[in-house]
Amino acid sequence: MNLRVAAVGYLNARPLWHALANREDVELSLAAPSEIARMLAEDECDVALIPVAAAAALGDAVLIDAGCISSRGPVRSVVVYSECPLEEIEELALDLSSRTSVTLARVLLKDRPLRFRGMQPDEALAFARGPKRGAVVIGDPALEHEGKFAHTFDLATAWRERTGLPFVFAAWYARKPLEPRHVDLLQNARNIGLKSRDSIAKNESERRYLHESIRYDLDDEAREGLARFFVEAARASLLPPVSPKTSLDTLLQRAADGERLSIAEGERLLGEASLFDLGLAADAVRRRKHPDDVVTYIVDRNVNYTNVCTTSCRFCAFYRPVGHAEGYVLSRETLGKKLQEVVDAGGVQILLQGGLNPDLRIGWYEDLFRWIKSEYRLGLHALSPEEILHIARLEGASVRDVLERLVAAGLDSVPGGGAEILVDRVRRKIAKAKCTSEEWLSVMRTAHHLGLRSSATMMYGTVDTPRERVLHLAKIRELQDETRGFTAFFCWDFQHETGVRVDAGDGGTNIYLRTQALARLMLDNVDHVGASWVTQGPDVGQVALRFGADDFGSVMFEENVVSSAGTTYCIDAAEIERRIRASGFRSVRRNVKYEWLTPPS
Amino acid sequence: MKLAEKIRAGERLSFEDGVALFCEPDLLALGALANEVREKRHGDRTYFNKNMRIEVTNVCVASCLFCSFAKLEDGAPGSHTMKLEEAWAELEARMHDPPNEIHIVNGLHPGLPFSYYEELLRGFKRIKPDVVMKCFTAVEIHFFARHYGMTYEEVLTKLRAAGLDGLPGGGAEIFHPDVRSRISGDKATGDEYLEVHRVAHRLGMRTNATMLYGHIETFEHRVDHLLRLRALQDEVCNGAPGPRVPGGFQAFIPLAFHPDGNGMKNLPAPTAIDDLRTIAVSRLILDNVDHIKAYWVSSGADVAQVALRFGADDLDGTIVHETIYHAAGSRVPQGLGYDELVRLIREAGRIPIERDTFYNVVREHPRVALPESAVKVRDRKAGKHLEGRARSERAEELLRSSLSEAKRLKVLS
Repeated sequence: MNLRVAAVGYLNARPLWHALANREDVELSLAAPSEIARMLAEDECDVALIPVAAAAALGDAVLIDAGCISSRGPVRSVVVYSECPLEEIEELALDLSSRTSVTLARVLLKDRPLRFRGMQPDEALAFARGPKRGAVVIGDPALEHEGKFAHTFDLATAWRERTGLPFVFAAWYARKPLEPRHVDLLQNARNIGLKSRDSIAKNESERRYLHESIRYDLDDEAREGLARFFVEAARASLLPPVSPKTSLDTLLQRAADGERLSIAEGERLLGEASLFDLGLAADAVRRRKHPDDVVTYIVDRNVNYTNVCTTSCRFCAFYRPVGHAEGYVLSRETLGKKLQEVVDAGGVQILLQGGLNPDLRIGWYEDLFRWIKSEYRLGLHALSPEEILHIARLEGASVRDVLERLVAAGLDSVPGGGAEILVDRVRRKIAKAKCTSEEWLSVMRTAHHLGLRSSATMMYGTVDTPRERVLHLAKIRELQDETRGFTAFFCWDFQHETGVRVDAGDGGTNIYLRTQALARLMLDNVDHVGASWVTQGPDVGQVALRFGADDFGSVMFEENVVSSAGTTYCIDAAEIERRIRASGFRSVRRNVKYEWLTPPS
Repeated sequence: MKLAEKIRAGERLSFEDGVALFCEPDLLALGALANEVREKRHGDRTYFNKNMRIEVTNVCVASCLFCSFAKLEDGAPGSHTMKLEEAWAELEARMHDPPNEIHIVNGLHPGLPFSYYEELLRGFKRIKPDVVMKCFTAVEIHFFARHYGMTYEEVLTKLRAAGLDGLPGGGAEIFHPDVRSRISGDKATGDEYLEVHRVAHRLGMRTNATMLYGHIETFEHRVDHLLRLRALQDEVCNGAPGPRVPGGFQAFIPLAFHPDGNGMKNLPAPTAIDDLRTIAVSRLILDNVDHIKAYWVSSGADVAQVALRFGADDLDGTIVHETIYHAAGSRVPQGLGYDELVRLIREAGRIPIERDTFYNVVREHPRVALPESAVKVRDRKAGKHLEGRARSERAEELLRSSLSEAKRLKVLS
């Protein structure tokens, strides 16, 4: 078997993998740092040159002794660029392609009252031209823009001044110890690469950069710098603490105390902790985040405007293909009747979702939204990322443009549906035609940047493994670090029905409760976790309130997608309130932003 | 909370302890304690059986407020009494995959001869001689004794001669006269129910017991009920040296009140939280009863599955065609497949064991590698949790108010 190696394509990494590029026994993949980290997390490679922050998030990554990318002084390629002095910066754009640099920037600047905004490198560079703004820029774009801004703040220099230690940006990691011959292979590649630096560099500036700015030794000093960084980042709650294998008790206690969990720790809790221990830890987190003993719910209505859909997901019993006799698009008349019922019942919003119907263009949505807003004044929690992408494709427009137009027409927030499991191995198997994990996350990122809030969801229990569920949670947490745009998280298991072309995997109430409790523990930066009583039934929904949930979702007028898979429950506000109280909480009616609309009762 | 220590030391719980447990706001801590006791007794072993329920008549002279099944008179709309052949046909139709147990409970029909019941039993045994007949609640036995002018012992002896093997636990409702007289005043009293079981135990029969909760009773009534059962069980099996007497209660089954179509239809049904709490407290109080059953028809299969970690070690059985709860609005299926029961137990991380009526192992299924069962998990922190934490007064108040909601509705004058 060939060794599958993944590495960052940047110039500074080149000496480490240059000699691997043409070997027949190595499959080398080059990509951006976050993508390399994802590949290692999802077992798409055996060893990867990843940002050290990504290794900490994994929790069980093994450091391979074959060099690293570090710096003892000015690194030139990890900098803050700005037109004003550092002290005057109020908003800082973060280039999201490297979490390590972003984390380093946040560690170094954590005492300053900065607002952080994640964006793509070119956006960040443009952003930094504005007044009182700056951008963390890394890698080749940083080198290309050297000297083009009035002020430069070199993060490696700042780290060196603060700690007297080198800063390690990236190192070789694997998910299990490598065979000695593979370690030798990487070490040799590094030795050859170091000798080839002059031929790798295209000019004198690059030559100096490779020889003077970047160090490739994973020596004791570098390891000490790495350890120090992990400690400081954990102290700032930016990374999970790196600790030797702890007892399950310690891990549970840490989780209950709200410390950040690594992916490996999450996986361990899901596999080894008992139902009660998970529940009690999640309950402790819930109590700390929501000390009022209040459980919220919302009066809204799920309206599925069309069932015509082109994705043919294997787990879906709701959709009809284009041209099918049972396909529908709701008329204004039908819709109006439904909306009036919501208004009459004291409802505050509608959840509007549908299939990917190629006949509906953006103008149709804009008209619809404007009509709903002017006639019914209801909040519009509408269009999951998949639908937004679909409209963007149909119109040949960017997601950003589509969202801006929809917001202008009345869109208030975005539901988190269609996330399923944000691991492409799973998505390819159950929803081939759907967007990739990265696309889903990037629609959410854009929506959050435009000021929209959204929920996040997870549907597990098809072909997904427990580890993939944890990876899903970690991806949500990572985006949330960046945007703070997610209001709440809901999960449910795949609702099986005959005729659907996916076999049910892990299911059942205990696994639901465990999964929800784990989500509460992993998602330390998401305010709310909701009990999905619509799928689990109101009984289990109630029990779930003791497993970390602080929200009971919505009153149901109707729901069509899950109910076509055979799940039907209808309960009104009085029954929801009774059940919340019977679980030992006070109930509060909320809006989509989780603001209280009633006093606790 | 000292209760946790008391329970771990195997000390017997008092009336006050029982009420305190029902009032414990921390459901998970309570569940973890009950789970500890359950695992000490049974480990991961979780029982179910291949049974079928038959209700041969819904004609009934009693007028229980919680019942949506009984029709007061023969010939009333919806009343139905099976011909013997019809009842037997239910078994005959299932002989390709026969049940191990037939569970029969009925209305108190004033117009049938005693021989109807004897013949009913004989007929089933003719079709399948080794089928276990677990039939007639203590309330029916009491009714037979009065109606046909016999003692309990005579009734039981005659029925045993015809094929009766054990008694189901139905008809217990709530023993305390303050409650019982109001919800089911015209059938066997609590004492009479217990006396029937006492006689049955003395004859060497094994029986089950139930409690119908979540209507107008208080926590105190529930604890009183459990203590009466524990006291009777003591007579059979506790302390006495020498070989264990064959009779006694095998299993206790809490039954949730369902309100549809009966005399207490204004009451809300107890919620899942109450179901789990009641299972857990029952496990903790009934230290001399082997099994606590999460009857899936009562709570729904999903909550019954969770109950397997809150003290229950039995899911009842396949049942096939339940009608009593379904008359009261139960939305669960009328029967569950064998494989479905195995799956429910496995998903809860337990080992499914098909049993016969008397808890002899028919077939032990292997454990499978689902997340809960892949590793032997222990509740490390849960126990400690219950002891150390300051009580939340607000939570306790909320709990009490939610559970007394039923009483506030004052459906009964």
